[in-house]
Amino acid sequence: MTKVVILDSDEKILASVINHTGAEHRRLANKVMEEALEQAGLSFDEISCVIATGYGRITVPFADRQITELTCHARGVSSFFPDVTLAIDIGGQDVKGLKIKDGRLLDFTISDKCAAGTGRFLEIIADALGIKLEDLGDISLKSSNKVSISSTCTVFARQEVISRLSEGTPLEDIVAGIHDAIASRVARMVERLRVGPDILFTGGVAKNIGVVRALEANLGCEVLVPEEPLLSGAIGAALLGKEITLKALANGESIRKGERRLDEATFFK
Amino acid sequence: MAWFIGIDIGSGTSKGVITGDGEIKAYHLLASGVNYRMAAQKLKEELKAKAGLSEENVASIVTTGHGDGIIPFSNQHVADMRCCAKGINRIFPSARTVIDVQGQSSQVMQLDDSGQVIDFAISEICAGGSGRFLEIIANVLQLELEDIGPLSLESENPVTFTTGCAVFGESEAISRVSEGISKEDILAGVHKALAGAVFALVNKVGLKEPCAISGGGGLNIGLIKRLNELGVQLLVPPQPQLINALGAAIIAEEQAVQ
Repeated sequence: MTKVVILDSDEKILASVINHTGAEHRRLANKVMEEALEQAGLSFDEISCVIATGYGRITVPFADRQITELTCHARGVSSFFPDVTLAIDIGGQDVKGLKIKDGRLLDFTISDKCAAGTGRFLEIIADALGIKLEDLGDISLKSSNKVSISSTCTVFARQEVISRLSEGTPLEDIVAGIHDAIASRVARMVERLRVGPDILFTGGVAKNIGVVRALEANLGCEVLVPEEPLLSGAIGAALLGKEITLKALANGESIRKGERRLDEATFFK
Repeated sequence: MAWFIGIDIGSGTSKGVITGDGEIKAYHLLASGVNYRMAAQKLKEELKAKAGLSEENVASIVTTGHGDGIIPFSNQHVADMRCCAKGINRIFPSARTVIDVQGQSSQVMQLDDSGQVIDFAISEICAGGSGRFLEIIANVLQLELEDIGPLSLESENPVTFTTGCAVFGESEAISRVSEGISKEDILAGVHKALAGAVFALVNKVGLKEPCAISGGGGLNIGLIKRLNELGVQLLVPPQPQLINALGAAIIAEEQAVQ
């Protein structure tokens, strides 16, 4: 997904747009940007600073700066919840744990070499079960007897899920088992970063109430979820953009990289 | 005269061998499907028909493989590694290392002079380390599994897969297709990735030559060439898929003699 957030100097959100990234759309960050400008009722020239983050941050030719998603996420989640000490971010293709103090990143862990535990795992299982991704959470809450999923690998877990289904295991018990499989993997992953109970869960998978509950069960404490978990990184980027702009203004410098033009990325075939 | 049956129920293909007096009398392969019990039953009937035998001629049946354990007529269930070692030892008595690449797992065994397994390494928790990875990419490219090995060798510029994960690999293959990268280059990349995963297992147990390959992976010339490039020269049996079933039949025969 590509997300754009426009903040004003009072850190009020003027626009937020979430759009599919896709193979073709990766070079079309300009289109998402146009949509956000329209929503905010601004011309591009009125924007003081553009920060790009995420996997595709280098594919945004009109950005003034690129900042890693870890830094942006840490800043974003701290703006929702200043006391946060651990942020768990589960996206479509990776899982991150961020140890944070006063909005700064102290340490992190990342798993991006394997689909297990990521949103992709859920997409594949939802597809195998013939249900919509967004319905997984509510379905799993009906379970009182979750199955244990023995495979870590997404490919093998998919097969295991299909076997359970053919044996007549109730759907909700399978889905609850899948959520527990993700949660226990992620809980183990972030264990060394934990300092207290102030844990925030962000990224697309945080929209799944079943995974939220399973994480709480595995971590043994409450887990907070921001209003729009997909936007943590973009909001953090915008907040960092404001800081950078104010600092530059104070020093009498400009951070603008030149004329504001919404070009599409050109280095793709 | 007494005859012995070895049956290997794999995740994709089920294999059966009938032996007597140490010779292979007949063999048969069929798709495992979703009902392993039915596959095993059918395999037994086909084997008997091919060998021209009736039920009372069969002295004992040893079963093995991924779908073993639920076969009602089995006289004994034997771990696939033991069957593999036994089968390879019959074909290549000199082999001291065996690489077994199956649809759901890969394993590397080190054998002693009598063909017994003395050390092993296994990859069974990740599809990226098994033949499944090849199947997934063949599916993306809409190719038959038996065609991908030879095609992969036509590549001059193999793609690099960024992870060893079969799920991410599938997405990467789709992206490469949309960028216009050739099938050959994508296939060369996936064969290299799997060869790398298998080579890591070889390094865990240590390569003692001669080394043989077994399992469905042994049918794939692309995988064999990539392993050769990594310095692993391989003895390839005529029917690598049948090795475990052969080993199972030999174990049945040996136990009857004792």
